[in-house]
Amino acid sequence: MTTPTLLDTIDPEIVDSLAARSAEISSGASMSSGLTAALALGSIPVALAALSRDVYAQGTLPAGIKGVLDFALALEIFEDEFYKAVLGTSSSTGLNAAFAPVRALAAAVPGAVATLQQIQKHEAAHIATLLATGATNVFNLTATSFDFTGNRSAAGGGPFSEATTNLAFLLQVAQGVEDTGVRAYKGQAANLMPNPTILEAALRIHSVEARHAARIRRMRRAAAGAPPEVRYSGTVRGGERAAAGGTTLGTVNPTVVGQTFDKIYGAGAGSPSESNVIHAGVNVTALAGASFGAEAAQEAFDEPLSRADVVAIVQPFFIPTIS
Amino acid sequence: MATTDGVFFTRGDQLLHSTSRRSFLQVMGLGGAIVLMPSVFAACGDDGNGLTDPTDTQYALDLRTDVGILNYAYALEQLEAAYYTVALTSAGYAALSANEKEVISDLQKHEVIHREFLKQVLGSAAIPEINFNMTTVNNLTASRAVLLSTSQLLEDTGVSAYNGAGKYLTSAANLLVAGKIVSVEARHAAAIRDIRDGTNGRLFAGDDVVNAAGLDTKAEPETVLASVVSLNVVTSPLSIGTPANQSLRTPDQPAPAPT
Repeated sequence: MTTPTLLDTIDPEIVDSLAARSAEISSGASMSSGLTAALALGSIPVALAALSRDVYAQGTLPAGIKGVLDFALALEIFEDEFYKAVLGTSSSTGLNAAFAPVRALAAAVPGAVATLQQIQKHEAAHIATLLATGATNVFNLTATSFDFTGNRSAAGGGPFSEATTNLAFLLQVAQGVEDTGVRAYKGQAANLMPNPTILEAALRIHSVEARHAARIRRMRRAAAGAPPEVRYSGTVRGGERAAAGGTTLGTVNPTVVGQTFDKIYGAGAGSPSESNVIHAGVNVTALAGASFGAEAAQEAFDEPLSRADVVAIVQPFFIPTIS
Repeated sequence: MATTDGVFFTRGDQLLHSTSRRSFLQVMGLGGAIVLMPSVFAACGDDGNGLTDPTDTQYALDLRTDVGILNYAYALEQLEAAYYTVALTSAGYAALSANEKEVISDLQKHEVIHREFLKQVLGSAAIPEINFNMTTVNNLTASRAVLLSTSQLLEDTGVSAYNGAGKYLTSAANLLVAGKIVSVEARHAAAIRDIRDGTNGRLFAGDDVVNAAGLDTKAEPETVLASVVSLNVVTSPLSIGTPANQSLRTPDQPAPAPT
């Protein structure tokens, strides 16, 4: 048996990247000062490590993939900051104070705070994973980049203000946030196909978001007076605002709240509504051996959203302009 | 340095034991071979074909192609659909609350729709219908507890299978179809886990299934099929005829056994 060399133990793709970058440098491309210093010291391992960082600093991720990761990171920061505000762990004391009333209501429901903590933990982990994969916070988002009332203002006061005082309204918003995340990742998966490792990571985040959405649906259904359209199975029935189930439109601007849920669960530019029952050209309401009607057919498949559609949904909650 | 280059299973339930499961994962991680001894299938009951029957090759998945990956999904959906269909008339179902029955009833419909949808998409390229060991299926639906724990394992396994197989699909349209289904499986898994969790509020996406990087369970096809075999419910000789692109393999984090 031959003793494996150092390079044998490194992912072949990384070695290829290193070799390509090394060739660029040999043919006159500039290199980072750390790499120059390491080579001057004659240290191969240090030079290798420096070259590795140099490769990624040069942005070896194709622009298409980098763009998806950057966009995903923006959505994850949005989700993370939203749950931190709800839990009172945001670095923004103003947001923590704003959500204090609904926080007290959540504390009275067994398991609710634990669920919000578990979800926030995952969103924070997604941020770390995306950053480690090469994503950049291109919109320079911080805790104070968001207005969760949907007014794009640090002063708040937007259509979703009731999320800070009404637990049912808050959970409906959280469900919308999670379902938007599920649809957003689903819509971007194909763009990640050139990098199977990153695609797999994105798929694994995608299904976590779906678990979150399902648990929130179950919390909503368990509340008194919840309609049966909010399924205990955590699945999405119907399209547009009806798919949110028992939507409470609030008092500040019911029209905008309703329109937002229409966008979250409806059709967009090139994206089908969640009520879609035609997949790969097959109508799944009319399958031999599976005739359960439109509702079960709608629940059995989730739908993607394009990036532009997702931006249109979430932009009111981001103070800076995103794209 | 590992010296093993193969691992042998003589009984399906060996996968449930940590030692054999660990060595299995170790071997698969090294690109080794898995051999399911005939007794594994024999223990599952006779499907009337036998291992040497020529029709058995129809159950051998060619995972190099999208058709093979979709057939792999079709096999898993057949299992889920068959299980929940039996569950609807089981003692375990009768013991559920109305809210819990709604979940199992929804899941049965969704999985049957997934099965029939994939069958239609695959057309003449579909693998044959899978036969099941009804004694085992009945045992796995006999009480509320076993019905829910088996449902959790099936749904988590479904999530892990789709998450691990997506990278092998070469067509964006097929990846989208898989994506439309996997998030529904994840919703199912969360719902079943939440029922079993009571009011603790964390099991729907528990630390046993979502790792510290925030990534859900994923498993390579060999691991998933071995887990299915270990349930002792499939009597048809479902196997991997040709493995998926080995260069795309990633470390397994399979669905955990419910506790």
